[in-house]
Amino acid sequence: MKTVLIVDDAAFMRVTLKTLLERNNFKVSGEAVNGIEGIKKYIEVKPDIVTMDITMPEMDGVTALKEIIKINPNAKVIMISAMGQESMVKEAVLSGAVGFLVKPFKEEAVIKSLENL
Amino acid sequence: MSGLIENKKEGELDTQKNKFLTFLLGKESYGIEIKYVSEIIGMQEITHVPQLPDYVKGIINLRGKIIPVMDVRLRFKLKAKEYSDRTCIIIIEISDILIGLIVDSVSEVITIPEQNIQEPPQMSKNANNRYIKGIGKIGDSVKLLLDCMKLISDEDFNTISKQYK
Amino acid sequence: MFEVFIYETNQLLEQLEQIIIKSENSNFYSSNDIDEVFRIMHTIKGSSAMMEYSSISALSHSVEDLFCFIREANPSLVNFSQLTDLVLKSADFIKAEIGKIQDGGKTDTDSNFLIDEINAFLENLKKNSSCVLSNSAGPRVNFYGTEKGNLEEVNAKKTYKAVLCFEDDCKMENIRAIAVIQNIKDYAAEIFYSPSNINDDNESAEIIRIDGFKIYFKTDCNIDTVRDILSQTIFLKSLSLDELDSDDEIAEIKNCGCINSKPSINKNIQLKSKSINQKMISVNISKLDSLMDLVGELVISESMLTNNLNLQGRQLDYFNKAARQHRKIINTLQDIVMSIRMVSLSATFQKMNRIVRDAGKALNKNIRLVTVGEDTEVDKNIVEHISDPLMHIIRNAADHGIETVQERVHKNKEETGTITLEAKKSGGDVLIIVRDDGRGLDKNKILQKAKKNGLLKKPESSLTDREIYSFIYLPGFSTCEKVSEFSGRGVGMDVVIKNIGKIGGSVNVDSVAGEGTVVTIKIPLTLAIMNGMIVKVGSSTYTIPIVNIVESFIRREEDIITDPDGNELILIRGECYPVLRLYKHFGVETKKQSVSEGIIMMVENEDKRMCILVDELIGEQQVVVKALPYYIKNFKYAKGIEGCTLLSDGSISLILDVSELLNSYNGREMTACQA
Repeated sequence: MKTVLIVDDAAFMRVTLKTLLERNNFKVSGEAVNGIEGIKKYIEVKPDIVTMDITMPEMDGVTALKEIIKINPNAKVIMISAMGQESMVKEAVLSGAVGFLVKPFKEEAVIKSLENL
Repeated sequence: MSGLIENKKEGELDTQKNKFLTFLLGKESYGIEIKYVSEIIGMQEITHVPQLPDYVKGIINLRGKIIPVMDVRLRFKLKAKEYSDRTCIIIIEISDILIGLIVDSVSEVITIPEQNIQEPPQMSKNANNRYIKGIGKIGDSVKLLLDCMKLISDEDFNTISKQYK
Repeated sequence: MFEVFIYETNQLLEQLEQIIIKSENSNFYSSNDIDEVFRIMHTIKGSSAMMEYSSISALSHSVEDLFCFIREANPSLVNFSQLTDLVLKSADFIKAEIGKIQDGGKTDTDSNFLIDEINAFLENLKKNSSCVLSNSAGPRVNFYGTEKGNLEEVNAKKTYKAVLCFEDDCKMENIRAIAVIQNIKDYAAEIFYSPSNINDDNESAEIIRIDGFKIYFKTDCNIDTVRDILSQTIFLKSLSLDELDSDDEIAEIKNCGCINSKPSINKNIQLKSKSINQKMISVNISKLDSLMDLVGELVISESMLTNNLNLQGRQLDYFNKAARQHRKIINTLQDIVMSIRMVSLSATFQKMNRIVRDAGKALNKNIRLVTVGEDTEVDKNIVEHISDPLMHIIRNAADHGIETVQERVHKNKEETGTITLEAKKSGGDVLIIVRDDGRGLDKNKILQKAKKNGLLKKPESSLTDREIYSFIYLPGFSTCEKVSEFSGRGVGMDVVIKNIGKIGGSVNVDSVAGEGTVVTIKIPLTLAIMNGMIVKVGSSTYTIPIVNIVESFIRREEDIITDPDGNELILIRGECYPVLRLYKHFGVETKKQSVSEGIIMMVENEDKRMCILVDELIGEQQVVVKALPYYIKNFKYAKGIEGCTLLSDGSISLILDVSELLNSYNGREMTACQA
């Protein structure tokens, strides 16, 4: 079972993602509410996949992504973005994010893509 | 009722500290931490469930909830006593389990400061004081303070700890 | 989840209001505040879009845009009071919508009037602002060479052409394309792609959406590796990958600089967004549970009311008429509540595809899964409990049932084994059938093993095939000599029985050696409400599920035959049935100990029947099944109790578990239902 770390400041998104993932045979091994916590948790739980929100307090998702890639260049980080964040997403992709989801997303699509990772 | 319990958990923990509901079993006075106590009701009609240990008297219907009841006397291997008007059922809630404790009578709620609570003396192995987690002193009187967790976790089954951890 | 959304959005709005009001008071928006507002709106936008509240998400999007501009451009001339008004108006609008949602209403209100106002304000700001936003789009990059970008040094052998299509609705296709390039650039040299202007936003995204994203590149990797790399692209819908024989095509592109297929977009054929308004809300299951409980209570209180002692012996025509109407409404209500809780098995069945696929891969067998009747609906609680057992059974079928390809070929069977998963209704039950066309069960092997492990409690000759097969569900039983890491060694199969037993189901195994095995799981449609016959034994009342009752009759004590083992039997129409005196079984005191004083109920489950002696019948009643408290379940209480229910007088009646009674009577513990 693949393990996933969810980094998102919105509780709603964490719950949504968590339910969605757990329903589909993923294990959510950790949750973090901002970039800094996300990096700490990443080191702690070593998840297979990270879902990373872009807009967060303390440290944003793209900065956190860059840090995680420094720790593990093969880390699989998926950005959670929304329309209007094109430039941030582009930066994330060029910094090593394996992909991104655009809110609102569909369950099947998310699962299909995560399973392929 | 669930709302009531919620409130208790959030706000009143401090005020509940060191407070005990005391009740009588024979001559002895026992205390139970108030945070576990959900309510006190009079004796009810108990539905017997066949082949349970003698101290588990059966189940009662408390406003649509099915709650097991335990005779604390029998639990402590004391002599059974016929139920009377004074007999009470203390409903306690502990790690999500609701259970009723049948006691001779309920006395009062008292505060016992930390420094007045002693470890129970280490007696022989088979003694019933394994259900006692402390001895509280109020003036000259002594209250035996119950360990609720031990009371409901049992030598007759072993799955409970697994299920509720 | 719904609650989390409401709760969090309300909290964010509160936070927003505080910031706005604080800023208005000081007539100054600090950059921190602007960031905060932006973030709040962004979160609301995302969440509400997920929940499909488009008016909220559209509005929050426009506020977000506004603050994004303020943050980036830092315009000096902002009409703060107007800004504050706008934000507060938006917040109020969202709050009102949330209120409606909370009350179960629809959020059809149009937020466009506010959005227009915000956009106008933003336009105004942009015009007045002296600050020119720098175009963040970088120089056009459409070529990644090797380190130096030097073509001559490239000695990669193979040239590939790949066309990637993304899932509809995945959005930001052009950036996804950038991600693809980013991914392959470590493996490939000389990358060309079309459309080339993926750093620009809308146009290229549109082209990719319609025509796909075409990439030409050279690499040393073989086609499979390349396919693997590209397949990892998330939201990939289709991928076509070809190895090009010559560099002609690529040269052509090189000459042109880039290929840029003219946008063949006809604005008219733009896909209509598939926003079929889902008339669904997600409801916390615990709410449904308590609704169910309440309806159950209502059924009871209704019968308490109409059977009230005060009413007895009176002429009550009008009352009875009203009461009938009342009952009709309650029955309808009950049906509706039940139907709310019904969900289809399709999601569960779907999951099994994955299990079969993984199993086939791990075991190196060719297996396909065929599902039938996945639309069958059962109670939500049951669906939750059926998934694990099903998984075990299917894994077992894949591991022990389906043969290897060689074996199948040798046996003249189709190379690919088939596991059929079928669901269908049958009376008050749902049957879930797992059928495989594998090697089947080896009866003799099972028997030997059972003997060795001391599981045989009856003479071998009297065992039916079904009884022999059901040994495989006993703890620690396995006929497979090798322990496969996949389905293990019989571990889990006893769990199957336990879990299914928990939801009142049973399992049957049939098998034909060489042809396959059929596992049939029988589960009730619903757990919560059933028809029961209330019976009395001494001072206790018990409830026997109507579905189990065959008939009831009165007999004389002399009709009872006692066999040498002390078992009591009764002869009815030439058939011999075991007799269970309930007072004896449960140790209840009663004066009516003789058969002639009581009533005999014949009960059956599956193909077994027995007679139960009770004192008297009270009547038939619909009862709400409640589980015994966990505390009680931890003890080994008497066999044959399924749960309990509340009667109309508020007393508790224990519900008999007929299948367990039948089994315990036969001295076996086949269905091992004890808690």
